[in-house]
Amino acid sequence: MIRKSVILAGALLIGALAAGCGTVKPWQRDLLARPQMQIVPSPALKAVDEHVYFSKEGSMGGHDVGGGGCGCN
Amino acid sequence: MRLQLNEPAAPIKSRLRAAVCVLLATGLPGVARAEGSTQLDSSVLLYGERDRADVVEPTVRVTRTRANGQSISVGLVYDVITGASPTGALPSGQVQTTTSASGQVTTVPAGAIPTTTFQDKRYALDGEVRLPLTSLLASTFAAHYSSEKDYSSLGASTKLSYDLDQRRITVTAGAAFDRDDVFPVGGTPLGLTDGSGALDSDSQPKHIASGLLGVARVVSRRWLLSLTGTRAREDGYLTEPYKVVSTVDATSGETVGQLTENRPDERTRNSVLAGSVTAIGADVLHVSYRYYWDDWSLESHTADLMYRHDVSDHSWIQPHLRWYAQNPASFYTTGLAAGAPLPAFASSDYRLGPLRTMTVGMSFGFRVAASAGEWTIRPEYIRQSLASSRAHEEEEDGPPEPGDDGLTQSAVAASAPAVELPPLDILSLVVAYSRHF
Repeated sequence: MIRKSVILAGALLIGALAAGCGTVKPWQRDLLARPQMQIVPSPALKAVDEHVYFSKEGSMGGHDVGGGGCGCN
Repeated sequence: MRLQLNEPAAPIKSRLRAAVCVLLATGLPGVARAEGSTQLDSSVLLYGERDRADVVEPTVRVTRTRANGQSISVGLVYDVITGASPTGALPSGQVQTTTSASGQVTTVPAGAIPTTTFQDKRYALDGEVRLPLTSLLASTFAAHYSSEKDYSSLGASTKLSYDLDQRRITVTAGAAFDRDDVFPVGGTPLGLTDGSGALDSDSQPKHIASGLLGVARVVSRRWLLSLTGTRAREDGYLTEPYKVVSTVDATSGETVGQLTENRPDERTRNSVLAGSVTAIGADVLHVSYRYYWDDWSLESHTADLMYRHDVSDHSWIQPHLRWYAQNPASFYTTGLAAGAPLPAFASSDYRLGPLRTMTVGMSFGFRVAASAGEWTIRPEYIRQSLASSRAHEEEEDGPPEPGDDGLTQSAVAASAPAVELPPLDILSLVVAYSRHF
């Protein structure tokens, strides 16, 4: 059930990625250009979080490739 | 600045001198933009688990970006870790005394979760270079090295990003290779033994090859979507050398001994991460979901939500919620029946168990007047708990699926005693400071 939901949500997301809702011209990107609109708004805090959760959980990654190895897990 | 229209025209040399003085007095903004900029990011993490480990982790990163988009970044992380970590053994009705591979003798009171105390320091150094190849194509090269008492890691990665559709779509592909070495204090014990045998004094290698494919799209003036898939192949020594598995008397249910844990020497990890960033008025909503699965039959769901609200021109707040749930690895067990045939692999490491994590936090960001830097203070509360084995079985959609090692969850779990471990409470505080030069 959960897998089907994940697949459905993924398909919807891919559809949204492919279609979009309209055309955004370069001069209309004032909001998107703000630092807080970045997909990872604070890479420094994200790196701290990745390290904490990598050492405390069985999963890892998702945002990036590679990274500092650690004997904590 | 006010124009003096009636003033007699000054000689050209005077005008140039005046212009230079104005530029110097205003910090040369035009010149700085033409030559690029420097960014400093620094932070300190204070992390404390109740009755367990404490971590202090300062980090610093300097990024120099040139006007043509090239950038070079160098980061340094230093960790100081002290405290106690669960060995994986079950609590017992009697006092338990254990001797680790390094000769450390630990006495555990009756009813307490057996832990082993440790102290370690780790430093990590990394560098990254970003090179725009064309106006739409950019490459990134990165390398890192980290070292601690019983572990070292050396790795490199590269990424290519390509902008499409008038920069409304960015496609990213990346690959990385890591070479890690594990050298347990006192030597490496054989898996699923009582640890009294000969220890391997050689370092144990571990290789990780990983790849990434991602796409980000501007959906509207206020909405950005991203989808990223990763795959990592690990091979080598993947066992936790200090963790053990209890052996339990099948009749009395009492803990009668313990064995070192043993994990497969290969693992393939996969993840799909979907993210959304939405501007709601002046506020920003970040939502992400990650689905993770690997060939140890570990599967997890992670949902993350942040909402940034600007309180003033110089300050903002950002509540944060994170929810994480994983199904256990196929060889996870709370204990093994004493005297029964041993499975090929077994681990009682709670991080491979039916784990739940909930995080609640709040970031406060502000700029001090007359300073170009921004401060962020983020306290968070994290609670980790293990779902009971019965609850976990009810969550399963069907019969357990065999892992690639041919082991089913029920094969290990059949002998596992049902235990309720108390949740782990964690408090963390990050203080970060960033500024441009």
